[in-house]
Amino acid sequence: MLTQRTIWCGSILFIGMMFLVSWQKAVAQEHEQRSGISNSWLIMQVVPSVSWTCFPAQTRFSFEWEATPILYSWGMTKLDPPLHFFFVTQPERFAGSVEFNISMQLYTSQVRASHWGFSGQLLAHLPLVEHGEYVGLNLGVARYNIAGVSSNYVVGGFSTLFGFLHYNIKYSPGNEIWMHSIEFRFF
Amino acid sequence: MNNKRLLLHFILFSLIALHCSLIITGCSSFFIRFITKSFENLPNSPDTVAAKIAHPIFQNVGLSVLWVGHATCLIQIDDKIFLTDPIFSETAGMISKRRIEPGILPSSIDKLDYILISHIHFDHLNYGSLSILPKSAAVLMPTGSAEYVPEFGFSDYHEMNPWTTFEADGVRITAVPVKHFSGRYGFDGAWLNHNTYTGYVVEYKGKTVFFAGDTGYDPEKFKTIGEKFRINVALIPIAPIEPHEFMKHVHADPEEALHIFDDVHAKIMIPIHHRTFVQGLDSTLTFAENQLRLLASERKLGDRMLILKVGEQRIIIP
Repeated sequence: MLTQRTIWCGSILFIGMMFLVSWQKAVAQEHEQRSGISNSWLIMQVVPSVSWTCFPAQTRFSFEWEATPILYSWGMTKLDPPLHFFFVTQPERFAGSVEFNISMQLYTSQVRASHWGFSGQLLAHLPLVEHGEYVGLNLGVARYNIAGVSSNYVVGGFSTLFGFLHYNIKYSPGNEIWMHSIEFRFF
Repeated sequence: MNNKRLLLHFILFSLIALHCSLIITGCSSFFIRFITKSFENLPNSPDTVAAKIAHPIFQNVGLSVLWVGHATCLIQIDDKIFLTDPIFSETAGMISKRRIEPGILPSSIDKLDYILISHIHFDHLNYGSLSILPKSAAVLMPTGSAEYVPEFGFSDYHEMNPWTTFEADGVRITAVPVKHFSGRYGFDGAWLNHNTYTGYVVEYKGKTVFFAGDTGYDPEKFKTIGEKFRINVALIPIAPIEPHEFMKHVHADPEEALHIFDDVHAKIMIPIHHRTFVQGLDSTLTFAENQLRLLASERKLGDRMLILKVGEQRIIIP
């Protein structure tokens, strides 16, 4: 049942968020100088990205929520540590980085009797204009599980507007699936 | 409508409502008017600066200041060269348009020892400008800024807390508290764990310069600065002024700038942070400058008030 799955997914998401808040607060106490996950930050993370997935026979619209468990940034100064967990400032991403992110998709119409998709993505962000703040290039690979069926994707796209707005195209050669994503990345 | 569709519509509606509320919260009347004003000015070319100084660095000088525009000042104290909040680009943050060219070409700065970043707002921390400056310089910035500063290849970078002092080769640079606001992209100020803004007092060979960066008026802070240093020149922001109810918390108007000048007991004041970019809702580019001229005249400040033109350089101490 969709409602049961919704409750499960919502609960997992909620527990995960609570864990993140408590964990990040503990980390912040140890390193007072670093910014981190806060309630206002969490609210921004609720804003979803949107994507259109073009299956061979149908196109589906979905909302997508992303989190970055780990990001390695090589574009910052020696004062900023290169590894970041969940909380990433815009420059740490767009000035040159590679991240592993996970996402959850909610399809507004059913795909094979389900509304849910999940993914893991390995993405590199390469600065193009103004150290990436104006325009950056995204390249990577992803593995999506949509309604229980997994496929691999290649990812390419660009970011603009200070790294907040990303447009990525994802293509699964094995299954002829195209995905167009407009992603809002808020730290 | 079955439960499943009802739930989906509810989620869809909630998300749209969330988007709308975020947009409405962010788009106060001031914000919309500022954006409109900025877009109106985007096609306009900036006014030119005639006879730019080609060689702004002296062989021998005690203290000189060249106003490049906005909060960018080229300061020379004897053999040391300092540049504050460098911005040479056509816009600040993509949309706030430069209305007058930078007072000098960045290529004319052939020697640079220190770059002082007061905070991380677009008009003070400009990536394009930092990319083209001599890499011999060390960059000083307030604590917390490192999360926003990409690697530009400068010789060194230092974050500074208020009332900490950087010392090297006889130069003493002290970060001093001012009154402004954190963040770079608007809402990020809410989750920064520290105030990412500062002023600086630069001391070298018996000369002292106070760079206020961007600040509102806080008598306690500035009186303390005045008690601790004997300041030759104070570079104090005077704009934007309007809308005053909003700006007064984070930006000093000309009258408040004069209070700051009094509080820090400086010998000379040079106004900055005006007449360069579209900022706030000030009716004209010279709105703040005109007010300052009137006030300075009423108070008979005479030579103590140096209102420089963009690109003008003054020798304060030969």
